[in-house]
Amino acid sequence: MSPIDPVSADFPNYREPYGPAQLWRWAVEMVWNVERAFERSKASGRAVDDTRLRIFFVLSIFSLAFVTLGLRATRAALFAPEEAAGHSAPPLAGARADLTDRNGELLAVDLTHYGLYLDPREIWDTDEIRRKLPAAFPKLSPERLDKALHGGRREYLAGGLTPQEMRGVHDLGLPGVSFEEEPRRVYPLGPTAEHLIGFSDAGGRGIAGAEKALDGELHAGAATGEPVQLAMDIRVQAALQDELQKAQAKFGTLTAQGMVVDIQTGEILAMSSVPDFDPNAPGHSPIPNLTNHEAASVYELGSVFKAFTIAMGLDTGVVTLDSTFDVHAPIMVGGHLIHDFDKGDSQLALWQVFTHSSNIGAATLAMRAGPDRMKTYFQRYGLFKTAPSELLESARPILPRQFTDQTLAQIAFGQGISVSPLALATGYTALMNGGLYRPLTIRKVDPAHIPDGRRVISEQTSYQMLQLMRMNVHTDPKGSGHKADAVGLRVGGKTGSAQKPEHGHYSKDNVSSFVAVFPTDGPINADRYLVMITLDAPHVTPDSFGFITAGWNAAPTAGAVIDRIAPFLGVKRIITADAPLPGQVAKPSDMAE
Amino acid sequence: MPLAFLFEKRIRGFRVIEIAAFLCLTALVLVVYFSKAHAGHETAEIGDVDQQIAETQHRVRLLDAELAHLEAPARIEQLSQQYLGLAPIPAKHETPDTGLMEIARQAAEPPPKDSAKSKAATGAAPPAKAPTAAPIATAKTDAKPAGAPL
Repeated sequence: MSPIDPVSADFPNYREPYGPAQLWRWAVEMVWNVERAFERSKASGRAVDDTRLRIFFVLSIFSLAFVTLGLRATRAALFAPEEAAGHSAPPLAGARADLTDRNGELLAVDLTHYGLYLDPREIWDTDEIRRKLPAAFPKLSPERLDKALHGGRREYLAGGLTPQEMRGVHDLGLPGVSFEEEPRRVYPLGPTAEHLIGFSDAGGRGIAGAEKALDGELHAGAATGEPVQLAMDIRVQAALQDELQKAQAKFGTLTAQGMVVDIQTGEILAMSSVPDFDPNAPGHSPIPNLTNHEAASVYELGSVFKAFTIAMGLDTGVVTLDSTFDVHAPIMVGGHLIHDFDKGDSQLALWQVFTHSSNIGAATLAMRAGPDRMKTYFQRYGLFKTAPSELLESARPILPRQFTDQTLAQIAFGQGISVSPLALATGYTALMNGGLYRPLTIRKVDPAHIPDGRRVISEQTSYQMLQLMRMNVHTDPKGSGHKADAVGLRVGGKTGSAQKPEHGHYSKDNVSSFVAVFPTDGPINADRYLVMITLDAPHVTPDSFGFITAGWNAAPTAGAVIDRIAPFLGVKRIITADAPLPGQVAKPSDMAE
Repeated sequence: MPLAFLFEKRIRGFRVIEIAAFLCLTALVLVVYFSKAHAGHETAEIGDVDQQIAETQHRVRLLDAELAHLEAPARIEQLSQQYLGLAPIPAKHETPDTGLMEIARQAAEPPPKDSAKSKAATGAAPPAKAPTAAPIATAKTDAKPAGAPL
């Protein structure tokens, strides 16, 4: 039946508007034409040609399809994406990037270890297992082995096998024994820089030190394979740690801690706390040894605070270096008697208050300046709050409940306030670097991108403080830091000896500190380094004349450290003939450097 | 007419076009087969190389860790002290590069002929000491300072 529309036949010029009905009609016509095509060809005598064309058409379609499939298959086989070949496997869960020092020396690394498993269902000679397995792997617990042998399923026997241990067990060829890879954090330096590096748990989570502080970066670095670089220089670190160990042995201290800081960048080049521990097995050390006392403990650090008080006095203009102080007798402040370690002084210039470490002079200066100035400046130095640092161990200071005349006078010479050595060192860098307060960092800093600091004192005051530090170690014969004067390295420094508060009163033990800076010469923005040593409860030695103050223990320790690290830091010795004669008192204007 | 020849010419009942298509299809199948076989072989080789790279990287990391352990400054210092008797050099034993020539010259000079013994025997005044290189550093005095440091 023809689908010819009678309307179109009657009205040849009529055009039906486009729409669904017309499209449907067109489709039906097409199907009708195809179905009747062979009949039409036969009627017109072209049936064979038409069939050939159809076959050719179908052949072409199939050929095209096969060629396409073939090419795609060839392409898929030959040019497979790289990851399909197993190149970039994602890092294991808990994987951490390598940790290196500023020169690329390896500090912490994830190494593949092996877990040892035992399936008793595959074992027919349990005696052989009992005999051979403990012999090849002595760390294996016999109880655990027995339990696994009597179990009914595959059990975990031990973890952390090194490749050598794994090979030793594997070569036995014991049935039922198998291994699984497991990443494990290894600290190849052992008990070197362990407090700064820290350690992580078996699940790859940082527990202490840089491992905890930089946890996120270390996990992110595991995916890219890029190591995380610390500011630490392992050579400086080793020298510091060695000298601290010697100091602990020599002076019989409870702990000995220290740090080395690049004053201009704020980078912590070394940080150590003795006694130490092995981060590969932290559980084998007593808990106190795990503490980074440099950051996590607070101490009354004593006279090292006088540098802050004097810098405040100079910066506010309350005093000059030649201002004088009457120190002939103890003074009473708020019912508390303040006296000096007797050196026979009666009147001291400000610079002598610093070099003779006069408590009376510092307290008098604090009283002259007033509580507002004192509080403002000590807040600027960051001494009233936790030291800003990546190290999460950074401890909060212990402050007086009220800031009265008495407490301010005590704070002026470092009594009645407990801060971490890290906080003190951060404040000192601001005094020594031109007056800018920058948080100390454990990350390596690009010299071109040193973070902006917050100004706390003027550049002039900072320069004067450098001069005072140098006088205390070298120029003034009565200076308290002479034993830190490493030859030719232009060392400056300040001692601090404070009695330890115990059970509400001060004990006979003290905490000795020495803050050194070197070299003190050159422009204010020259490369300069700070060394801080803190000794907890040092004892008298045969060559200390009965003293346990910092000038006899912490200062020589700092000098020994500086002697050893100067070549690593590129500080050269300059020998000058400016050593004063005995008894000759130098003045600021006499300073050669 | 080549095109007509393809469609009209028959060889043992099969048109040329059909034989050509069959040959093309066979060639395609063979190409795909050999390509896959070759690719499989290559993949296996790549896998082997990957495995070798992984093992080598693992060994390199192990060796790096071992090297870091062996080169640990604290360990080197302990060994050098224990077996070689070495210690950090005191400042007075240091010299700048410019002083090396002077030290070499002094070392090459013959020792003075008049020994202490002959000096004592003759009673002659000792000769003036030959000028030597300026000391780089002077030993620090350990004398007790005037004031006890605090």
